[in-house]
Parts: sequence; structure tokens; C-alpha cells
Amino acid sequence: MLKIETTQETNYHLLQLIGEVDASNSVELDEAIVDLIEQNVQNILIDGTKLDYISSAGLGVFMSYIEDFEEKNITLVIFGLNEKVFQVFKILGLDQLINIKSKKIEAVQEIE
Amino acid sequence: MLKLPNLNIGKISLLVAIMTWLALLFVDITRLFGNLNQMESGIAPEISYILEILFFIVVYLFFNYSIQKSENNNFIDLIWRGTTTGLVATGISIIISIFYYLLGDSRLASDPLLRNVFYHIDFAFVTLFLVSCTLLWKHLILYQRTKRVVQQWQIFEVGLLISMFFVFFNRNTLDYSFLFGLAVLVIFGASLAVNLKWIPYLTFKEKWKSILFLVFIQFSAAYLFIKVLSYSEENSIYLNLTDNLFLLSLFTFVFIYATFSFLVTLFNLPTSSVFEQKLIEAINFQRLSQSIKPGQNENQVLDILMDSCMSAAYVDAAWLEQKENDGESSIIHQRYLSNEEQIDLQKLIESSKPFSDFKWNDKLQDNKTYTGKINDLKYKSVMMVPLTVNKNTIGRIFLLKEVKDGFNKEMLNIISTFVGQACISVENYRLLNEALKNERYKEELLIAQRVQRSLLPSELHHDDTFEIHGFSEAADEVGGDYYETQRLGEAEFAVIIGDVSGKGTSAAFNMSQMKGVFHSLVQLNPSPKEFLVKANTALSHCLEKNHFITTSYFIINTNKKSIRYARAGHCPTLFYDAEKNDSAYLNIDGLGLGILRNSSFEKYIQEKEVFFKKEDILVLFTDGIVEAKNEQAEEFGYERLKIVLTKNHKRPAAEIQQNIINQVYHFIGSNSLPDDDYSLLVIKFNS
Repeated sequence: MLKIETTQETNYHLLQLIGEVDASNSVELDEAIVDLIEQNVQNILIDGTKLDYISSAGLGVFMSYIEDFEEKNITLVIFGLNEKVFQVFKILGLDQLINIKSKKIEAVQEIE
Repeated sequence: MLKLPNLNIGKISLLVAIMTWLALLFVDITRLFGNLNQMESGIAPEISYILEILFFIVVYLFFNYSIQKSENNNFIDLIWRGTTTGLVATGISIIISIFYYLLGDSRLASDPLLRNVFYHIDFAFVTLFLVSCTLLWKHLILYQRTKRVVQQWQIFEVGLLISMFFVFFNRNTLDYSFLFGLAVLVIFGASLAVNLKWIPYLTFKEKWKSILFLVFIQFSAAYLFIKVLSYSEENSIYLNLTDNLFLLSLFTFVFIYATFSFLVTLFNLPTSSVFEQKLIEAINFQRLSQSIKPGQNENQVLDILMDSCMSAAYVDAAWLEQKENDGESSIIHQRYLSNEEQIDLQKLIESSKPFSDFKWNDKLQDNKTYTGKINDLKYKSVMMVPLTVNKNTIGRIFLLKEVKDGFNKEMLNIISTFVGQACISVENYRLLNEALKNERYKEELLIAQRVQRSLLPSELHHDDTFEIHGFSEAADEVGGDYYETQRLGEAEFAVIIGDVSGKGTSAAFNMSQMKGVFHSLVQLNPSPKEFLVKANTALSHCLEKNHFITTSYFIINTNKKSIRYARAGHCPTLFYDAEKNDSAYLNIDGLGLGILRNSSFEKYIQEKEVFFKKEDILVLFTDGIVEAKNEQAEEFGYERLKIVLTKNHKRPAAEIQQNIINQVYHFIGSNSLPDDDYSLLVIKFNS
């Protein structure tokens, strides 16, 4: 089960992921991100504090937008990942390509 | 051997009846001749009575047999048979009367012998008519057999049999005992005559016919009765055969039943259309509930549905609208309406919105009907029923009537039932088609599974210095895990393990691409890092945007006892160091293949080298192993894998592999199915 909550802050959009991202619901995550891109959002923060699990399909969603974000100058910061989920990002090497922070404050600082 | 001839009971009984009658005639004439000539012929009346009884019984048997033989005949045919016998008997009786009328006062007219012959003819036909009608009534009374009615009828028959012998007791004179016997039989016959269950099954036209026939039977019975009475009033010198309890009981029974049937049929006439309607509805319902046969399509069921609904509610015009996949609606059936009229009416309905409650997306549409008024010149009331298949509304039926409030509760009920049944038929048809399709897919998947299994190597390259053992299992029919080996030189081996993102068929396709990439690149004998960089470039052109492949590539040199390796996002490799008696994961950075599809990928790939000694073990695996979850959603994890390896280090590679898999299965428990692909490759160095 995955629940995505989008909130708009002053200078960024916050996507909170609650639950698990797997092959069955990675499309929802994809749609949420596409939605933000279409709104010409500049800064996206992903709150992973309540993300329990992410499968390769979920990682594929983040991965597929890395080059898009670079082109469109969109900043994406993920924060609050638990140790296990962070390891998944790290093993794949995504931590080298995506800005991952442990605290929200640090993530917000990245944007400013 | 003596072969019995095929006895025809009908013919034999007819023959016997005629002979009995002739005998009776002969006996009576002889007696009469004796009486007239004052000669004692010595023939007791009992002989006549016995012949009379025999005649009754044989005639009874004859008609019983002939009616049973024509069991399949419908009611009208049966009543017609009774009517014809009645009319023939009446006709003959009338002809005899006319004959005597024409004779006038001639001598012949008063000849008792001739008169007696005609009396016997009348007697015979009256008997035939009464017995045939009685058996006909029996057939109708017992149309819907219950034990009680059958018993009642049997008692009645016994009563009739006894009444035949009553003649010995009172010699066919009307006395009190005779009247008493008659009363008993009449009451019994009348109580049987309430069994009129066959009448509702007649159609309107058949009812009219049967009324006519019944009138004829009543007329015949009445006429013949009067005729019989007139014979006995003459009180002539010859033996009275007709003032018989059996015959008089039959007269009243035939007349009573005919009267009852006549009245009930007459009063059933106005409601017969309702019964016919119900019968048609039942037949329609059956047609709808028969699932669609091969070669037919949904359209035919919907066609039957249209006709059924229209006849159930006496509808003046109707159409059926089907929702297409693109959200547009099309009219697939239309009755008593031109296209223009239909379009106008549809517009009218859309603008006046009599069914504003209706929504296409409503999931609870089952058995709902909508009725309303419209302001059309011709049509005043309209009914709409949504067709729901599998909770989706697939179409709507519109029924129009020229009268206001033309749909009553019964109509709504029956139409709703029809629609429900038709929808079930359509749903069954669709499910069946889907099942057939799935069956085909399953077969295709089995083929894919066989092909994919053959992509994993059955033999792994190695030499005497190390053992190698692999295992792979897919969660679905096909999976995305991959491992392979290749001999590069005298003492050099390439080993690869990979995991394609996603699961199932798409993963399997990408896995086969990975295999192709491996076999192409391994020819160039690249270093592990070179291999990954080149593989990334190659795969960048063929992987979908959000797919990636993780892999680890090893080159084992058994001369130098070295392992050079690089990792592309794959889970780290476990290495058991025999000297330290401890296992550890090889720590190296690396990005998954297909994540960065440009030259900058190279920056993220490292290459390292380790040296092995005797008894060292290398365990390559895919993330399915460490991410295997038990019922408490706890993962098997890297730590458990490490402990299992350390514990089993003394065993040969095959046993280590088996033990690890057993431990994983034990951990997840027997209740849960693996939800990811598991692959494992164990390499144990012997020198």
C-alpha cells in the first residue's frame, strides 16, 4: 500500500510517501512526479520518513527522472529515509546521483 | 417355437364389443319373438343383462386403450373426439326418429321387432358416446395427477363397475335403491368434476373451440337422455336396457363435467391473455438464461431481451443503447421507430431528464429500473433499464408507451428480471472468452518459462582449483535474475550475476538482452570496469526509461589466485576468508546499468581486486535472498546470510548453496510464497 500526499510550501513542493512502493503502485509515484513537472515546479522535496520499503520498480521511477531534472533545472531532494531504504538507494548507487539528506531542515537548506 | 401373434387390444376389444352386441340383439329379438307369439322361448332376462354388462366392460376397455394410445394429443383433439361420438350418436338417433316419422301409421312403424332393433342401435351408440366421454374426462381430470385424485377416480370406477351389476338387483326399474345409488355416484362424479386444471393451458382460441365442443357434448348428452327416457316411458314389451344405473350415472357425470368445463372455460376467457403472457415470459426467461452458444454473440441475447421486454410490458417502441469503449453510445437495437424519431426522442429524454438519478459510473445499478414521463406527441411514458455486467453499466434499454404511466409494478419486476438474466448471460459469455484467452496466455507463459530456463547455464565453467554451484528460482513463471560463466583463458574465468528491475515477463526480456550483452562483450576480454561501462552503453539503447539492471562482474585468475571485480548497483558479494574464519561483504561503489545513459557513468564505477586462498568462499546472490520476508515482514537480511555461510564453510559448494536456500525457505515459513526471484552462486576455492 502506498499513499502519496502532496503539499505546496512557499518555495518547494513536498511529496510525502507513506507505506511501500512496489511494482504494483510505482505508477502512482510516477504520476505524482509527472504532475509536478507539468506544473513547472522548480523544487521537489520527497519526505521518506514513512516509507517502509521501495522495490526496484520504485527506484526505477526516481532513476528515470534524473536526466529530465538536470535538463529542466529541477532540484529533487529526498530526506528522512530509514536505514534499510537508504541502503537500497545506496547499493544501486542512486545516492551518488540523487541528493539524499537525513533531516528535513537539511533538505530545505539544499534548495535555498 | 410357437410365436404369439402381436395382439391388438384395440381391434380385439372392438370385435368382441360388436359380437357381444349382436349376441345381445339376437337374444332379445328371440325373446321378443317368443313373447309375441305366446311361445316360451326360455331365455331368462339375466342372459341379456350379462351380455349388456360384458358390452359395457369391453367398450370401456376399448376406449381406455384408444385414449391411452393417443396420449400426445392435445386437449382440443380429445374433446373433439368426444364431440364427434356425441354427434354421431345423436345423428343416428335423429335419423331413426325421422325414419319413424316418415313411416307414419304404416304397419311397419308399429312392428315391435324392428323397433327393438333400432332400440339396440340407439343403446349401442349411447353407450359408446357416454363411455368415450367418461374416459376423456378421466384423462382431463387426471391431467395433473395427485395421489388423492387418482384414488378418488379409482373408487369412482369401482362404483361404476358395481352399478353395472345393480341391474340384477332391481331389474332396471326406478325405485329408491336405484335413486340412492344414482345419487351417490352423481355426488362422487361432481366432486371429481372440480379437477379442471387443464383449462388454463388452453390458448384464447383453443378456449373458444373447447367451449363450442362442450356445448355440442352437452346438447348430445341432453338429447340422448331425453330419448332414452322416451323409450322407457313407452313401457313396451321388450326388455329395458337403458334405465340402467351405470348408463344414467354416466349421463349425469358427462353432463356435469361438460357443464363445469364450459363455465370455467367461459370465465377463464378474459384472463387467458394474462396466463398466455406469463407462459411467454417463462419461455423468454428460459431463452435468456441459456448461456450464449458458440457461434452466437451478445447481440443475439440482447435481441431476445428486447423482444421479451417489449412483449412483457406491451411496449409501443423501444431501443437499446450500448456504451462503447470510447465512452460514446451507439444504438444496436431499435423497434417500431425510424432513426429520426429515435434521435428526436433521445434528445427529448436528454433535455427533459426524466432519469436524472442515473449515472453511468454508478456501481450499484443492479436491478434498478427508471420510469418517467415525456412530452412527446405520441409517446407519453418511458422506462429505462441499465444493463450492468460485472458492475459496469454497458448499456441502457429504453421502452416507450403511448399511454401515461404505462408501466405497472409487475412489468417493472419482470423486465428487471429479464434484464438481470440477460446481463448474467452476457457476463458468463465474456468470462468464458476471457478464460479461454487466459488459458492461451498461460500456455505462452509456459513456453516463455522453458525458453528462459534454457537461458540460465546448466554447466558452469571452472577448473580443479574451485567448485561452483548455482541456483535460481523465479517468483512468477519467468524472472529477471541472471548468472553465467565463461572461460577466458587457461586459468581465467569470467563470472557474472545480474538482476533486472521489475518482475515477470518484461524482466525476462531484459534478462535475455543482458545475456546477449555478456556473450558479446566477454569475447573482447574486458576488465570488469570496462565490461560494465560497455554494457551500460549497450543497454542504454535497449532498456526502457525506468528500467535498470544491477550486476556484478568477476574475473577469477586461478594462477594468480586473484579476483578482480566491479559492481553495478548489485547487492554486495559475500566473501568468506578461511584464515580469519569470517565472512564479509566486498565493499565497492558502483551505479546500476541504465541509470545514467551517458559517458559520465564511468565515473561511478570502481574496480577492485582480492586474493583468495584455499577454502575461501565467494557467494554471489540477488536481492531476493536478502529481502525475503517472513510472516512478521522481517527481512532475511545480510547478517543472517553471513552467519549461515560462516557456519557452513566446511561443506562443499553445492551443500552450502543448498543450506542457504533451505535457511531462506525456513525463514520465510511455509505459508508465504516467494515474491521475488532468488538466485545464488557459490564458489569455493580448493587450492
